[in-house]
Amino acid sequence: MSAAAVARETGARLAAAEAAGLNATLHWSQALLDAEAKRVGAMPAAGPLAGMPIAIKDNIVTTDAPTTCASRILEGYVSPFDATAVTRLRAAGAMIAAKANMDEFAMGSSTEHSAFGRVRHPLDPSRVPGGSSGGSAALVAAGVVPAALGSETGGSVRQPASFCGIVGVKPSYGRVSRFGLVAFGSSLDCISVFGRTVDDAARVLGAMSGHDPLDSTTIPRGPMAVPAALPDLRGLRVGLPREYFPADLHPGIAAGMERTKAAVRQLGAELVEVSLPNSAYAVPTYYIVAPAEAAANLARYDGVRYGPRKVGPEGDIRALYQATRGEGFGPEVQRRILVGTYVLSAGYYDAYYRKAQRVRARIADDFRRAFAGGVDLLLTPTTPTPAFRAGEKTEDPVAMYLADVFVCAISLAGLPALSIPVGRDEGLPVGAQLIAPFFEDERMLAAAGAIERVVAGDAEVR
Amino acid sequence: MSIGRDDVLHVAKLAELAVHERDLDRLVGQLNRIVDYVAQLDQVPGDGTADAFLPGPQQVTLREDVPGSVPLARPPAAIAPEFADGFFLVPRHGAMEDL
Repeated sequence: MSAAAVARETGARLAAAEAAGLNATLHWSQALLDAEAKRVGAMPAAGPLAGMPIAIKDNIVTTDAPTTCASRILEGYVSPFDATAVTRLRAAGAMIAAKANMDEFAMGSSTEHSAFGRVRHPLDPSRVPGGSSGGSAALVAAGVVPAALGSETGGSVRQPASFCGIVGVKPSYGRVSRFGLVAFGSSLDCISVFGRTVDDAARVLGAMSGHDPLDSTTIPRGPMAVPAALPDLRGLRVGLPREYFPADLHPGIAAGMERTKAAVRQLGAELVEVSLPNSAYAVPTYYIVAPAEAAANLARYDGVRYGPRKVGPEGDIRALYQATRGEGFGPEVQRRILVGTYVLSAGYYDAYYRKAQRVRARIADDFRRAFAGGVDLLLTPTTPTPAFRAGEKTEDPVAMYLADVFVCAISLAGLPALSIPVGRDEGLPVGAQLIAPFFEDERMLAAAGAIERVVAGDAEVR
Repeated sequence: MSIGRDDVLHVAKLAELAVHERDLDRLVGQLNRIVDYVAQLDQVPGDGTADAFLPGPQQVTLREDVPGSVPLARPPAAIAPEFADGFFLVPRHGAMEDL
């Protein structure tokens, strides 16, 4: 199929998704899709992603469409440069199909915190698709695009991938350039990928990975070679961290994990129990570290440099800052800025921020010891429950944060991890998470390809 | 540790964030809920000597110190609301208008 035909078909699917009320896109147009197809058609050689339409989370900057981070404070902002990831995807022949809805500034676990309305779950519109990359996840799950970019700070790709029944891959920290990713938590942020299959996600990750002189936190190594799915898992030791299988785990998730463990065993891997005791503290650690970094990163949105401006009652510059930020940021972003400012403020820094940094070191050390002890990969549930109902957790921020209980320790440790669909519970997808040692993304993807082949992601688990 | 209305107003001022009076009680409740929750880190055994953990390269590689800029899709004049003689024009303090 020609790029022009793919562009037309993708446009029709985007229009259908919009008409169905998915609310997964913030910006797309047939004219931009056609221009992308023309550009790809004129490339002298077909790239590895030739003609693949890819949706981009709206916190990754592009020159041909606005980048708003789903926030009023950036309404109408158009970047003068492309993110490195976008430049590399375009060079590989991909077509940028749409900018996807998200939780405002990537803060949320349900994509209910977008200033432009919540995203619906493609299988049940009364439920959430997860977050914060919920728009990207919904577009892939609804079959609109085969792959999409999201971003992870504390699980914002793996968690919605699990809720939506697709593949979500968070690479090792430093594997993909963040140049052009709007900063949230700089010691955590990773551009990450959704795919309908492990191979789709791996090909996108391969095309955009590798050192970037414009991002000094990228590891000075070349792009990731796209691994083929392993024929089996013989010789691999897969660790099951006991803290990730609590007695009160949702029965549907537990059943999904049982069939995944059986499949891994059937593929020839040895399953061993391990312990990651400090993962119990991952959520509180994350909700100190990430808001602290966010409070610093979001200080730049002041009504002077970006987006709309609001003059305060006093008419001076500080009143302008306060009024612009007070009206431009939504409730969840304001809450996190306040928490981040509080934990960094005089008298509380040692009690909260310094303490959290030390616990973070212990969490990372647990993973290091597990892998040093001879485990090749770790296997856990991705989420504690299937997709929850919209509005169920919006009144209690801590209840929302706990949706990330199995994903955010890995973000704190900077490790690669992915979620693959392993079945459905009463029609709702269940995901399993694979975690690998630092920079062993290829091993993780190759093993996931083998598991994907034998586990029916759309079969009921019980 | 309990956060009161004055604490929220103080932190909001540090964060350059206008907080409406009508939102204050809700924010006090939510911030207390969050701070009480993260306080469970006090249960982690003290380890005063542990280093903070940061992921990423052991040593940051700096690029060549050659003057240059990122190529822009549009020149600065096309990005700025107002631009003249190589400068971005911003409103004079005290004379700003709602855009």
